[in-house]
Amino acid sequence: MRPILFLLPALALFAQTHKAASPAAANFKVAGSPTAPLTLEVYADYECPHCMHFYQDVVPLVIDQYVKTGKVRLVHRDFPLQGHQYARIAAKYANAAGQLGMYDVVVNQIFKTQGEWSQNGNIDGEVAKVVPPGTMQKIRELVKSDTHLDDTVNADMAQGTSDRLNQTPTLVIVNNKTGNRQKIDGPLPFGILKSYLDQLLAKG
Amino acid sequence: MKLKQVLFLIGQVILAGIFIVAGYAKIREPWPQFALSLYSFKLLPESSLEPIARTLPWCELALGIAILSGILLRWSALIASVLLTVFFAVLIRSYAMGLEVDCGCFGSGETSLGPLRLAEEAAMLALAVAVTVAAFRGYGFRSRTLESHA
Repeated sequence: MRPILFLLPALALFAQTHKAASPAAANFKVAGSPTAPLTLEVYADYECPHCMHFYQDVVPLVIDQYVKTGKVRLVHRDFPLQGHQYARIAAKYANAAGQLGMYDVVVNQIFKTQGEWSQNGNIDGEVAKVVPPGTMQKIRELVKSDTHLDDTVNADMAQGTSDRLNQTPTLVIVNNKTGNRQKIDGPLPFGILKSYLDQLLAKG
Repeated sequence: MKLKQVLFLIGQVILAGIFIVAGYAKIREPWPQFALSLYSFKLLPESSLEPIARTLPWCELALGIAILSGILLRWSALIASVLLTVFFAVLIRSYAMGLEVDCGCFGSGETSLGPLRLAEEAAMLALAVAVTVAAFRGYGFRSRTLESHA
């Protein structure tokens, strides 16, 4: 008797992709050309150390080489993890700043000072160091009273659940022509991400 | 059919299944996912990650199919044993170094590296070695009919 060569599962299912309309992120969370062939969605938690490294080491290179050149549209998605007690309030500060045109500055500051505020919870103090006093007061008011400030966070989390997220950072690369979404879990080094983006762009 | 042959056949099918599932799980994900797992072991130069991430899953799949079909079983089982020895050594090293790795052995989203994961890997290695030894001793039908005349 010879071992039977079982029929393999349908090998045509190699690419685990799915098409789904994703909720639009608030404008301040989006960078790049709306006609870019690819969208890179980055799910991040402000209290996650890997996210901090990804934002400090990889995102600036992606912006320089792909976003500014119109090849990739970058979308920040909030995914505060339950175990991180200050992650959601950090997202509130970032999104309040976004409404006032200071999203990038505050996001960078929040990640840059993660080591401090993740210990003492003083996000306000760290944000106040890079924002003019008048704007900071408006940010505080929004964080305190704007009931819609969590809307994009909740929408991002719902999309993250749909994308079957189980960690941050997670990248979702969307082919804007076909709508296919490819998820990559973890802090991808720029060299690997660059190689993959170049391949996808070459395919068209 | 003797009991030894039945056990050998079961071992052969399980070993083949392990490699087929491992290869298929990686192939169906974008290759950077496996490259990231390889990167987390801090063992290989970054330039080598892409070629390995793109080819190793296909090799695993081919190896699994070869073991399942019984073609050149001695050699395919031997290669499987060598591969699993290398994987096991890498996991032991990473565990000893306290590295935070996503093994990626069966695709992304696996549990973190710990004693249980190492025990699973050791069991797979033991199985591969047992199948290899049995194949060289001629328990496999193809081993006897084809390879012994080679």
